[in-house]
Amino acid sequence: MASSAAVSTAPPALSLPPSQFARLQPHAYLLAHLSPPASSQQPSIRANGRAPSQFRVTSTNTGSLTHTNGSSVVRLGDTTAVCGIKAEILHTEDIASWSVSHSSSSSTPNKRRKLTNPTEKPGEDRQDGSDEVEDDDSYIEDFSLLVPNLSLSTGCAPGFIPGAPPSALAQSLSHRVLSLLHSSRLVRSEDLEIWYQRPNLGPEELERHNEDEQMDVDVEQDGSGSVGETREIKAFWVLYIDIMIISLAGNPFDAAWTAVLAALRDTKLPRAWWHADNETVICSDLVSEARRLSLRGLPVASSFRVFEADAASGWRAVIVPDAEEERKIAESDRKGIQRRWVLADPDGYEEGLAQERVCLVIDKDQRQNGKVVIVKMEKNGGFAVDRKELKELVAVSAQRWEEINKILGQC
Amino acid sequence: MSSPLILLPGDEVPTDYLPSNGSAPLRLGPGLRLLSQAHPTPASTSKHVLTATQAGILSTDNKRNAVSILSSSNRRYIPTPNDLVIAQVHHSSVDYFYCMITPQSPHAVLGQLSFEGATKKTRPMLRGGDLVYARVLSTGLGAGAEVELACVNLATGKSEPGGLGPLNGGMVFDISTGMAARLIRASSASAEQQQVAGLVVLDELGKKLEKAGGFEIAVGRNGKVWVDCSNSEDHAVRTTVAIGRCLTTIDEHNLNPTDQRKLVTRVLREMKIES
Amino acid sequence: MGGPTASLHPLSRADGSASYRCPATGSNVLGSVNAPIELPGRRDALKPEDATIEVFVKPGTAPGGVGERHIEGILRDALSRIILGREKGYPRRGVVITLAIVGGDSIGRGASYLPILPALLHTSILALLSASVPLSMSISATILAVDSSGKIIREPSSADAAATASLHVLAFTSKGHLLLNESEGAFNFDTWERVYERALTICHGTSALGSDGDVAMTETVDSQPLEGLVRDTVEDRIHVEYAWKIDAA
Repeated sequence: MASSAAVSTAPPALSLPPSQFARLQPHAYLLAHLSPPASSQQPSIRANGRAPSQFRVTSTNTGSLTHTNGSSVVRLGDTTAVCGIKAEILHTEDIASWSVSHSSSSSTPNKRRKLTNPTEKPGEDRQDGSDEVEDDDSYIEDFSLLVPNLSLSTGCAPGFIPGAPPSALAQSLSHRVLSLLHSSRLVRSEDLEIWYQRPNLGPEELERHNEDEQMDVDVEQDGSGSVGETREIKAFWVLYIDIMIISLAGNPFDAAWTAVLAALRDTKLPRAWWHADNETVICSDLVSEARRLSLRGLPVASSFRVFEADAASGWRAVIVPDAEEERKIAESDRKGIQRRWVLADPDGYEEGLAQERVCLVIDKDQRQNGKVVIVKMEKNGGFAVDRKELKELVAVSAQRWEEINKILGQC
Repeated sequence: MSSPLILLPGDEVPTDYLPSNGSAPLRLGPGLRLLSQAHPTPASTSKHVLTATQAGILSTDNKRNAVSILSSSNRRYIPTPNDLVIAQVHHSSVDYFYCMITPQSPHAVLGQLSFEGATKKTRPMLRGGDLVYARVLSTGLGAGAEVELACVNLATGKSEPGGLGPLNGGMVFDISTGMAARLIRASSASAEQQQVAGLVVLDELGKKLEKAGGFEIAVGRNGKVWVDCSNSEDHAVRTTVAIGRCLTTIDEHNLNPTDQRKLVTRVLREMKIES
Repeated sequence: MGGPTASLHPLSRADGSASYRCPATGSNVLGSVNAPIELPGRRDALKPEDATIEVFVKPGTAPGGVGERHIEGILRDALSRIILGREKGYPRRGVVITLAIVGGDSIGRGASYLPILPALLHTSILALLSASVPLSMSISATILAVDSSGKIIREPSSADAAATASLHVLAFTSKGHLLLNESEGAFNFDTWERVYERALTICHGTSALGSDGDVAMTETVDSQPLEGLVRDTVEDRIHVEYAWKIDAA
C-alpha cells in the first residue's frame, strides 16, 4: 500500500516490489511505513494498513457446532479460533478427595446462605447480587472442573507440521487460558453443581422435589435449621473447553480468549438431578429446561507489541539511558533509532519483529458505571512500556472492551 | 594501583580508573564494551561510555594501555588463539589427531605433521588417551567451527615455546581456569611479578624438591596441569601426587602465600618426602 | 524470618550456577547455566546473528505440565532482552538455563506461577553472572500481593497469596526500567501504581543513581534492596576468588 512511496527513491533497476522488500528487509519495511519521510505528507501507518492502536476486524459466530453444549468461531483478521465446549458429568464418588473436602465445605456457611437467599432466582439477576457474598469457587480449581485445551492445528501457519507434539506456544496458551479462567472467576461454581435433595418429609416429597429448582428454595425456607444435611452435591459438570486455532496470523491469545468467552456465553447445560433409586444423575431432555451459565462479567483481552526502531541497527550498541532520564525524553523528541511504536493486535509479520509484548485483560464493572477493572496485566521483554505507556494502553483496552461487548452482544 | 573496582553488567567504568597513556589507543579486553551516547547531555562531555558486560574486577595494564574485566575464575575454558593447552588425544585419522580440550566441547584437530621436525616417517604415533601440550592455532568462526591446535610454530618449524609436543609419563590434575592463568603468569615471570599472581607454591616446591630431583610441570589454560617427577626415582609417584595435592588445595581454598608455604611443608611431611 | 539468601556456583560441572532461597515465599531454586554451547541441528531456524536462549524449569515434586512451558516463555522473553547474544562467541550458539525448584509448595494444574517467579528470575540472573555470560544490565524482581482492603503485602506466603485480591510480580533492571510485569486478579490502575512504587523501592531502595554510575544504596524500611542482594552476592564471590589480587594491591 504505502510501501511504494518508501522504495520509490531507489533507482528503477534496483527497485523491488513491496512484497519482496517485506521479506528481505522486514524490519526496514515496517519502519519505513511507520516513519514516512516528512516530505511525503503520509501518516504513520503499519504495513498492514492499520493505525498503531487499531485492532483488526473481529467477527464471531456462535452455536455452529451442534454436538457441543456451546461453541463459537472467532475471526480476528486472518487469525481464526474455533472453540467447542462439552459438558460431562463427574460424580462426587469418583473424586478421590471428595469426602475429605466435602466435610470442610459444609462448614462454609456463606455458600449455603447464598443458595437459600429467597430474593434470588437461579439463573437470573445474579449479576447484581453476586457482590454481597464472596462466592466460594474453590471447587472449580480443586476438582479441575474447567479443562481448556488449545491446539494449533496442522498448517495453521508455516512450520506446524503434522504429527508434531503440542508446541511450547500451544502449551503456554492453554495454561494462560486456564489461569485466566481461574483468576477471573468467570464461571460460577454453583452453575456446575448437581444437587440432591434428600427427602425428609414423606413419599410425596420425593416426587415433588425434583420438579422445579424453585421448589428447593421453598423447602429450604421452611426447613430452616435442618436443611443443611438434606441437600448435598452429588455431581459436577466438567466443561471441556477445546480451542483450535485453524489459522494463525498473530495474536492467538486474544482470538482464543474471545472464542472461549463467546462459547461460554453460548453454553447451555441441561437440567440435571440425582435420582436416588437409580443412584445416578438424570438429565432433562427438554430444551426449555436447559439453562445458560451466568458468567461473572466480561473480561476482554487485548494484546500489544512494541516495535523499536533500533533493532535493525543493533550492531552498534547505544547506551540504555536510566529509567529516570528516559522518562524526561518526550515522545516527540525521540529521533532516529530511539523511536518506538506500540502496535495493537499485532499480526504474524509484526510479531516476528517486535520483542516486547503487553497483554491486558480488563473488564468493566456494570454496577459502578462501567468502572474499569484490570483482571490481568502482563508486560515482558523490553523497556519501552513503563507506567505512562501502560496507563494509555489501559485506556485503549477499555475502548476495545466496548467493541467486543458489542460484537458478542450481536451473536 | 587504587582499590580494586568490582563491576556488574551495566556499570560504567569510571574514567579515572582507565590507563591514561595519552595517544595510544585503549585496548578493550573481554567483559567490556563501548557504547555510544544516544542523547548527548550537556553534563557528559564524552560521546562514548565503557560499560561492563560481565561481573568481575576491573583490571588495567598501563604498559599495554589495556583494560579488561577479570570474571569468575571457575568459568569454562573457551579456546582463544595462542593459548597453551593440555589436550588429550581421542582418536586419529590419516591427517589429524582429534583431541579433547574440555569434556563438553567438540574435538579440536591437531595435524599429524604439526610437531617439531615431523615428517611422514618421523611423526609421533599418538594413541587415544595420550596427552599433548599444544598451542591453539585458530578457533574458526561461528557455530560448528573447529578449533585447530599445533605443537610447532609453523613459521620457524620449532616448538615455541619449548616443551610443546607429546607429554610422556607424569600425571594431569584439574584446576580452575583462573588458577591456570595465575600459574602461567607465575611460572613465566620474574620474582616480583610472582607476588602479583600471589603464588609462591612453585618456588617453594622447587626449593624443597631440588635435592629429590626436581620436577617438570606444564600448565594448560584449559584448567589442566601436568606434573612429572621421573627424576626422583623411587619417590616419583609420591612426589607427583604431593605436587598435585598442593596445587588443587590452593585452588580450592584460595590460599594466601603464607598458607601456601605451610601447606607445602605439611603435605610433604605427610607424604614422607624428605626435603 | 530473614531476607532472601543466595549463593553462587554451588555446582561444579556447570559453567555457571546459583541457588536462591526466599524464606518469606518459601521458594528455593537451584539453577545452572551452560553457555556458549553448540546446539544440535536446526541452525537455519535460528537468527544467525544472535544466540539462542533456552530456559527449562523443572518442578520439585509435581510432574511437569503446561504451566512450566508458560513460565519458561516468560523467563526467556525477559532474559533475552538483557543477554547480549551478539557478543563474540555467542551468535548461533546456545545459552541454556536450567532451573530446578527445590523447595516450597508444589504448583498444581492451572495454578499461578507468580509466587515462584521472582526466585526463578533471581536464580537465573545470578547463574548467568557466574557463567560470565555477557549481559547489558542486571535485574531484580519482587512479588507483591494486594488484599481486598487495598493493603500491600510484600512477598506473601503461598497461603497469603491465595487469599489476596491481586498478585503482582515486577522486575526492574539495574537502571530502573520496568522489564517485566505480571499481574493477576482484579485491581485498578491506581492500585497498580502504588504497587509499582513499592516494588521499585524494594528492588532499588530509595536511592538515586550517582553521576559516576555507582549506585548509592540506601537502607529502607524493607531492609536491604534486592538489587543490593544480587550485587553483594557477586561481590562476595569475587572477593573470595580474587583475594590474592586484592590483598596484593
